[in-house]
Amino acid sequence: MTDITPDSVLRLHNRVSVRPEPFGALLYHFGTRRLSFLKSPALLAVVDALQDDRTVADALGVAEVPDAMRPAMLRAITTLRDSEMLVEVAA
Amino acid sequence: MSSTVLDRPAPAPRLIDHFESGLNSPICLTWELTYACNLSCIHCLSASGRRDPRELSTDECKAVIDELQRMQVFYVNIGGGEPTVRSDFWEIVDYATSHDIGVKFSTNGVKITSEIAEKLALNDYVDIQISMDGATAEVNDAIRGPGSYDLAIRALERLSAAGMTRLKLSVVCTRTNIGQLDQFKEIADRYGAQLRLTRLRPAGRGADSWHDLRPTQEQQRELYQWLVARGEEVLTGDSFFHLSALGESLPGLNLCGAGRVVCLIDPIGDVYACPFAIHEEFLAGNIRGEGGFGEVWRESELFTRLRAPQTGGACNSCPFFDTCRGGCMAAKFFTGLPLDGPDPECVRGFGDDALAASSGERPKPSGDHSHRTSPPRPRPVALKLEMQRPTAPMAPPVSACNVSPLAGMQLN
Amino acid sequence: MDAITTPAPADADATLVEANELVEDVSIDGMCGVY
Repeated sequence: MTDITPDSVLRLHNRVSVRPEPFGALLYHFGTRRLSFLKSPALLAVVDALQDDRTVADALGVAEVPDAMRPAMLRAITTLRDSEMLVEVAA
Repeated sequence: MSSTVLDRPAPAPRLIDHFESGLNSPICLTWELTYACNLSCIHCLSASGRRDPRELSTDECKAVIDELQRMQVFYVNIGGGEPTVRSDFWEIVDYATSHDIGVKFSTNGVKITSEIAEKLALNDYVDIQISMDGATAEVNDAIRGPGSYDLAIRALERLSAAGMTRLKLSVVCTRTNIGQLDQFKEIADRYGAQLRLTRLRPAGRGADSWHDLRPTQEQQRELYQWLVARGEEVLTGDSFFHLSALGESLPGLNLCGAGRVVCLIDPIGDVYACPFAIHEEFLAGNIRGEGGFGEVWRESELFTRLRAPQTGGACNSCPFFDTCRGGCMAAKFFTGLPLDGPDPECVRGFGDDALAASSGERPKPSGDHSHRTSPPRPRPVALKLEMQRPTAPMAPPVSACNVSPLAGMQLN
Repeated sequence: MDAITTPAPADADATLVEANELVEDVSIDGMCGVY
């Protein structure tokens, strides 16, 4: 699979249900029947910000993610893409 | 300036800590739609058979679904009794799946015609689980009744023929079927099903037969080794985490989800912590109350208590407490053991000691919906009691009355 | 726009989260009652 870069555009898979929780969120994929646990409210904000066809870089900006967290965020977005919670949108 | 060990922030809460303190809504929940059933399995956790006249109506069921949708409950595990004997069953399933709620339902196969199998195969939001407790008719039917094995196999055949992939075979592990684990896997593979093994609890009619049906300590070891070898290929619903003290932990979070991430809604709308704990002690409320299910989930006294940090009590000092967590509260409750002590099947033997030291008094399951007439309810299997002179219990006595009135007697 | 792939400075450990810790997959089979 391709690497996720700041220019990648992704959105939530249409069969994923996102449920905010105090610690972040739970994501359930009705197709794969997998459950993902987002451990950070900031990551939830990034996932929400991706919904308007923003690039990863833009979404991180909108969610006001501190620089120090950005590498971890990129890895998290990659994990979510790998588990099909997020899907890449063709450029 | 480099950070030192002292500067490090406290470790983030683990996943398990978040789940133990409860969620805004359940991840999923068990929903027993009816106490009616065409069978009379001797270990039935809900003592099912006869319909309760106070059953939720179709409209009430739909209102529950509406609420679960608002709460974003991801899916429901529908069971009973035999849920398909409700004439509105398919209507309820369709209503759920068209309102963002996945359905996984459990059945003995009685209503699974080829036509139904084909419809199920087409609905991506529905999973099905066929119950079977013996890999042969001889073993299965001794528990589930004559003809029940054939019902299950026929359902599996039809579902497989219809191309149903979201199919599970669910087996309750008992003394009589532990020797058939490979055969169960073979049956599951034959029909393209995932095998799921679950633990027998002394709940419902299971309370009567538990001492004779539960796996022996040796069989528990055999089961544990088999599960370790199979890894994540075989599902267990994490119900065997009390076996984790035998060695490496089994895959899973080793967490009891009752009242924290899951619960039970019963056929008359009562909300319990879990389907193995149908008793006033674990009754959180009723969905027919003003605040519906949501209020019960969020604010009931019982669930608030379960979500507070739990003390391991007598188990705290055990090196395996971290994975065993003191086992199953329903198993402890229905064998008359205290909840802050060992599981009755503690693999280190502390449960046996606690049982030997206890008064033998057990709570009765709250409801008995068993068939009264035909088929007749199987009589409890004659119990063989071997009472030895009580030795000093390994756990502190749990009450002043810790000496059995039968001490010293030997019964056959 | 700042590059976001620059490695974080060592003393940002306190705010940096370990790799893969922001997301965790939960096994549906992983908690008693979730099945």
